[in-house]
Amino acid sequence: MENSTPITRKQLAWIERVPGQYWALAILLLLMPLFAGDFVLFQIFGWTFILGMIALSLMFLAGYGGMVSLVQMSVAGMAGYMLAIFGDSAVSQVSQGWPWFLAIPMALAIACLFATAVGWLAVRTEGIYTIMITLAIAAAFFYFTRQNYDIFNGFSGFNSVVPPSLFGVNWRDPVAFYYLTLFWATVSFLAVLYLSRAPFGLALQGVRDNPRRMAALGYNVTAHRVAAYAFSGLLAGVGGILLTWQSTQISPGTVGIGAAIDILVIAVMGGLRHPIGAFVGAFVFVLLKTFARDFLLIVGLGGERFQLLIGLGFLAIVYFSPDGILGLWAKLRDWQKRDPLFEQKERNL
Amino acid sequence: MRVFARNHPIWTAIIAFVALVFIWLIFALWPPFLVELIGRKKVFLSALLNGITLGGLYFLVASGFTLIFGLMRNVNLAHGSLYLLGGYVGFFAAEWTGYWLLAFPVAFVVVGCLGVLMQLYVFRKLEGQDLRQTLVTIGISIVLADLMLWVFGGDFYNIAAPSWLSGPMETFFATGTKRSTGELIYLKYPLVRTVIFVAAVVLGVAMWLVLNRTRIGMLVRAGVDDREMLSATGARIQIVFLGVFAFGAGLAGIAGVVGGTFQSVAPGEDIRFLLASLVVVIVGGMGSIPGAALGALIIGVAEQFGSVYFPTYAVVLTFLIMVVVLAFRPQGLMGEG
Amino acid sequence: MNALTSSDIPAQTVSENALELTGMTKKFGALAALTDINIAVQPGERRAILGSNGAGKTTLFNCITGDFQPTTGTIKLFGEDVTNFPPQERIRRGLRRTYQISLLFGGLSVFDNIYLACRGVSRGRFSFRRPKVNDALMASAEELVRVVHLEDVRDTIVAELSYGQQRQLEIAMAFSGAPRFILFDEPAAGLSPTERSDLVSILTGLPSHMGFIIIEHDMDVALRVAQSVTMMHNGRIFKEGSPEEIENDPEVQALYLGDDHE
Repeated sequence: MENSTPITRKQLAWIERVPGQYWALAILLLLMPLFAGDFVLFQIFGWTFILGMIALSLMFLAGYGGMVSLVQMSVAGMAGYMLAIFGDSAVSQVSQGWPWFLAIPMALAIACLFATAVGWLAVRTEGIYTIMITLAIAAAFFYFTRQNYDIFNGFSGFNSVVPPSLFGVNWRDPVAFYYLTLFWATVSFLAVLYLSRAPFGLALQGVRDNPRRMAALGYNVTAHRVAAYAFSGLLAGVGGILLTWQSTQISPGTVGIGAAIDILVIAVMGGLRHPIGAFVGAFVFVLLKTFARDFLLIVGLGGERFQLLIGLGFLAIVYFSPDGILGLWAKLRDWQKRDPLFEQKERNL
Repeated sequence: MRVFARNHPIWTAIIAFVALVFIWLIFALWPPFLVELIGRKKVFLSALLNGITLGGLYFLVASGFTLIFGLMRNVNLAHGSLYLLGGYVGFFAAEWTGYWLLAFPVAFVVVGCLGVLMQLYVFRKLEGQDLRQTLVTIGISIVLADLMLWVFGGDFYNIAAPSWLSGPMETFFATGTKRSTGELIYLKYPLVRTVIFVAAVVLGVAMWLVLNRTRIGMLVRAGVDDREMLSATGARIQIVFLGVFAFGAGLAGIAGVVGGTFQSVAPGEDIRFLLASLVVVIVGGMGSIPGAALGALIIGVAEQFGSVYFPTYAVVLTFLIMVVVLAFRPQGLMGEG
Repeated sequence: MNALTSSDIPAQTVSENALELTGMTKKFGALAALTDINIAVQPGERRAILGSNGAGKTTLFNCITGDFQPTTGTIKLFGEDVTNFPPQERIRRGLRRTYQISLLFGGLSVFDNIYLACRGVSRGRFSFRRPKVNDALMASAEELVRVVHLEDVRDTIVAELSYGQQRQLEIAMAFSGAPRFILFDEPAAGLSPTERSDLVSILTGLPSHMGFIIIEHDMDVALRVAQSVTMMHNGRIFKEGSPEEIENDPEVQALYLGDDHE
């Protein structure tokens, strides 16, 4: 993990500390609606920000905490489901019809609690079991939502789940939705970045690197891990609510095993070392998913072989660049630093 | 077991009591009030036997999984894909040769070879990086699943049991009395399921014997305890790893043939049996063959009883058991902790 | 040296021992790793525990810290019976320990490692807020970096440090949060001669109220920093005395002939 800046908050200098690339990116993103069409804003970027947030919750647990959790999509789905159940949807026999300012906090709270409970179940064993346990719980949640009709409306799930028209804005309008998801993606990104250098985040990294030492220093290792799950639950929950609004529906398919593994693929593909990796991975994934059919047809394979493409791509990344795209980028930068002209000059001296 | 009884007298008493109740339920003729309460004894016995034989199948899949994990600390999430491949391969082997029994060695060899390839060209390169290996198995499972879908399509393949194994057999469990003569009626149960279950038990016992009574088994167990120590003794640990992975994979392949005979081979079964393996080893304890057996039995029986008596919540029962074990004994019922 | 002291060290009565082990035994199944250990260390006393491999020294440390539960016997820390306390409770009462194999946070910087160590016994471990510029804990962490001579590598990631530097950091971790008693487990292992004398100067320069027990194979280091020596053999206490007495004792020499000249 990169660690060149000191922990303290220096009031004036922080603006100077933000690298130029971030400013360029921020301006580009803010002005995007000027030159991008509705499809790009709503589908490509909206989905990127949403999947990025959910993948960010995984990155937080895996990159800073050393815990690879496959339950993040389930937590997101739980938030979406609870929103549909406590708020409004077309399934009036289940939905409670609470106003948004009650339904949304409730959905987030339940998602957070769910994540905490899963965390408590998963962290008291060796790290390598975490993948197994969270995968099993994700599967359980999927099967339960599919079979339970009283609460989760089984196979069909919920539809017509829409955001409230706050300030007279239709938040599913492409431009509005774009800014909404951009806002929450930025907030979660900055929150994770900030937290990583706060005592909680540092302690989490300590637990990742040497839990035995942390215990010997007086930290309650289990409590820190569970708290990390709780925070990640909040991130995934926000993503889940936005996801539900984007497609106006939620069903068991949203929280299936395939979806859970997609989040892992996104996080690993982007790179687990830095929060931006989650969004990089999400962007690449969304592009692939949108344009893969055409690409596959050009290459001569059937358009349905998307999973094969993703699987091979994932294998390639894990095999050759386990730090994901960010890792490739870092290697590229290091390689570029070796300026051939400079080396030439040195030899001549 | 005696040590367990001494250290946990209350649990031992509870388990003994439950066992006695079960034995009575199985062998005694049920009084009318019980039939009113739970249903017919035939249903109960069928569910129990189905659960036990399903447990045999789960044991076959899970033991390969736990063996690979126990020795190489590799959570092989492609294990379900290996199972499915074994099912397809076994189906075609049985179809083309006409011999059901041939399906087993063919599936074992084909899937075992795939296991050898995986170990040689993938895992050996990533030695020591447990998480990365697991991620690779996820990638492999995605690729394999799609390849199999491409080649075999989405149909359900059912491996037909041979004629000398099909049909019911008489068991010694009495379900009632003939009203006319007062003779006992015995439960009839599919022969093939019984035979496969017995085979699974034999295989399990054989594995346990090999692990605990042979030199090879000793090497494997030593490797489970301390990998570095084993390689330091000069034992050719790579060969041991290779052998164990190939065997574990082959076992999954055989399980695929069994599953194809019991139920069917189709896309989605890979995930289903991977999850079953996960739940079984979480409940039974990682790296333990007896643990896999115990876990498989519990999960198999729970699943069957669930689907018979609480159909809408069958899945919940199994996962509830898993959650309870995780909450109170995270290392599994027979795991070291 | 005020990183190592704290204004809230409780007043100690002279009669109280810093560490008192009574009748301690540790069995692993049939194997008796420790048998009938009785040790009393006074506050500020520097004790060396010597013995060959398998004598039970590290097991003894593990029992004192709470990683192992002794089969019988009691452990008292500054007069308080801590036999049934979990490790973090003993740490909060001023006990610290270093490890034979450095247990460091490889992905974090030297400063972050020490900061985490300082934070461990203080409040706000779950704090979500980044500390302010003049935070007291940050200041003591900075000073600890100086105490162990690691200022030059303050921001280096620990995984990139040399072995000797990592051992220095390992010691710094034990100095965090105003300890009252430290257990050093073979701190000199693998160090070069320069690094060893550096270690000796750090240890002898500790404030006088801070007592410690040091396990060492290097008799030279051990006898230079210790005021009293306990010799262990096969899980039992074999001899006790001052460094000179032990060094010249014929029984000790007979038992360890050749061993003490590593």
